[in-house]
Amino acid sequence: MENDDDAPPLAVRIGKEPESNPPERSYRSQNVQRGTSEESPVGVTVITGYLGAGKSTLVNYILNAQHGKKIAVILNEFGEEIGVERAMINEGEGGALVEEWVELANGCVCCTVKHSLVQALEQLVQRKERLDHILLETTGLADPAPLASVLWLDDQLESEITLDSIITVVDAKNLQRQLEEHLKSSFFPEAFLQIAFADVVILNKVDLVLQEGYGLDTSSILEELEKKIYDINSLATVIHSVRCQVDLCKILDRQAYGAKNIAHLEKLLEDSKSTFSRSRHDNTLRTLCIYEEQPVDLDMVRSWLEDLLWEKKSNMDVYRCKGVLNVLNSDQLHTLQAVREIYEIVPARKWHQGKKQMSKIVFIGHNLDISILADSFRSCTVLT
Amino acid sequence: MDTDSSTPTESGLSCARCGKPAYLQCPKCVELKLPQEGSTFCTQDCFKISWSSHKLVHPKSKLANVRSAHSEQSLDGWLYCLKNGQARTSKLPHFGWTGALRPCPISKRRLVPDGVEKPDWSIDGIPKTELNSDLQNIVEIKTPEQIELMRETCRIAREVLDAAACIIRPGITTDEIDEVVHQATIAAGGYPSPLNYHFFPKSCCTSVNEVICHGIPDARKLKDGDIVNVDVTVYYKGVHGDLNETFFVGEVDEASQQLVRCTYECLEKAISIVKPGVRYREVGEVISRHATMSGFSVVKSYCGHGIGELFHCTPNIPHYGRNKAVGIMKAGQTFTIEPMINAGVWRDRLWPDGWTAVTADGKRSAQFEHTLLVTETGVEVLTARVPSSPDVFPWLKLNHP
Repeated sequence: MENDDDAPPLAVRIGKEPESNPPERSYRSQNVQRGTSEESPVGVTVITGYLGAGKSTLVNYILNAQHGKKIAVILNEFGEEIGVERAMINEGEGGALVEEWVELANGCVCCTVKHSLVQALEQLVQRKERLDHILLETTGLADPAPLASVLWLDDQLESEITLDSIITVVDAKNLQRQLEEHLKSSFFPEAFLQIAFADVVILNKVDLVLQEGYGLDTSSILEELEKKIYDINSLATVIHSVRCQVDLCKILDRQAYGAKNIAHLEKLLEDSKSTFSRSRHDNTLRTLCIYEEQPVDLDMVRSWLEDLLWEKKSNMDVYRCKGVLNVLNSDQLHTLQAVREIYEIVPARKWHQGKKQMSKIVFIGHNLDISILADSFRSCTVLT
Repeated sequence: MDTDSSTPTESGLSCARCGKPAYLQCPKCVELKLPQEGSTFCTQDCFKISWSSHKLVHPKSKLANVRSAHSEQSLDGWLYCLKNGQARTSKLPHFGWTGALRPCPISKRRLVPDGVEKPDWSIDGIPKTELNSDLQNIVEIKTPEQIELMRETCRIAREVLDAAACIIRPGITTDEIDEVVHQATIAAGGYPSPLNYHFFPKSCCTSVNEVICHGIPDARKLKDGDIVNVDVTVYYKGVHGDLNETFFVGEVDEASQQLVRCTYECLEKAISIVKPGVRYREVGEVISRHATMSGFSVVKSYCGHGIGELFHCTPNIPHYGRNKAVGIMKAGQTFTIEPMINAGVWRDRLWPDGWTAVTADGKRSAQFEHTLLVTETGVEVLTARVPSSPDVFPWLKLNHP
């Protein structure tokens, strides 16, 4: 019926295909490559803290400060699980806040290595011409560990994003009370977990503490609070602030989860030398540190760590772990890092000449027993 | 034959005859608004030479590209899939296609009889039980009863895949493969797990050439020289069995044969290390080593997974090396290993349908998958080939009796 005769017609020039992404909000059908000028991944900072502690203040401060960086803020309601459907993207550029609601990729979570949150953040980075940093402000997130696990990606994935640090904002005025809640109940209040997993603790509203003198030496109140924070997490950097006005260099680009930021790690480990748990059996959430001068066998260390993290050896609950290893038959300093069950040991750099080579590991957890930890780690040394 | 479009045209289209970048299109196809796939050519010469076979795609009426000897299905009502399966459109979506492949319209949803036990997503698309389960955090040790159930379901899944393998040939559409899988599954009393899982519209995944995984069965006819992966999962007596194989369509070029064989070997080698006490992390090392040595790359975005009463649960098993997978294998654990190996780069892209994953450079990808059980001394391949499995892998004839 159609005139499909034997002679072929003249083929026509293919029309120019329209733009591959019409201006829709959906992130799907993205094909935009990230500019080649940006080689290093964009850091993601997770901001946790009690309602009212000052998270929003911090976020607004970061967005509005004249720093020349293009920063996106994602506000998220986390509830029971990390299910991200909608998030508000809020970019501050020279003071102009652009708000848009974006429907994040509601992709299939089955058998994918990257959580949908990660995919959404990657698409955000691909979409923008230049993004220097991402802030993930969380509400209702009691335990940051699952979020950290999701964001702490394997290097192999060469993701456009990387977990930069976890910041918790605590309210200096109410912290004491929030920590004491623990004594009345059998589980740890949010404050403990948020501090345990933080790389930076912003001790906010210090001016309110100073105001309510009650005749007490206010600086010692702050000192006392700091000590409580360090008792829980000796690896954290504590910054005092009024209305979250902090030095941005101290909170952005911390690279807390990369192997590269060694100097920072070593400094922390040196400082924490003074923190020792006095009692053996301590059921509070706290920090412990162990040392070993003899070089350790790497395979044995892996098994030892897996026993702790995966098999919950001796009923100890390790939340976080960071350290430096003096490895047998290696001239490389190895770093160790763990968040709950996920851990990584990587060679970082050569030991410096003249520096004493030793292993130092800091644990943050619950039911920790320093003698078990120290003894079992020592059994990873190979006595010649 | 594998002239890859390393310098594709702006539109990313290749000549349907010789594979070189295409600048011309059949005017009839344009007039009839047929998909560009198969209707673009590099020169008038190639078009002229192809004309006698090409003109067959011009339908006499508004009907199908598909002419099935077995069904009277027309393409009336067949639409392109969007939004993970939650939406349809009559127009081919816009996208920067990475290779020659394009989506085709898909058929209407297939029905499952009342008597068949269905998972919770068959109703509303959301696997609620799975999302809320504790088995997303702890690896289950199966009881002997559960293991026996898994053996049976996996055997059924194997038979279903074998049935699909039997019909693979040039001219068959992936939709027809889906029909065979669907019918075979419900005939055995099972439910095809992919159907409506997170809104997936079909009963199996069919992944052609540059599609890495999760391809949606549609109206496209398989061509001589294609490779196609069929991924089957059956839900029967409350448990799932999951496997996939990559098949050759007609005569396939040497490079594709090597890719497919290497992928088969990656899975074989990974399975050989499975036993109690082995770290899940090791699987990726073994696969990555073999693939890299053969000059191929490993897809990193998708991984093996725990399976049982849930379709997907912990552990997550990446197929690339230097990963931080958690856990050590213990007897009684069941999971899949399903390496996806690419001829070119490892990166993947997602089509507008929200499911189909393709290689970023448009080169081919192959995959194989088994459901495995860790035994006291080693491993049991629950979805293993059986004597009646079709003889479609040339290398098996050489090495295995």
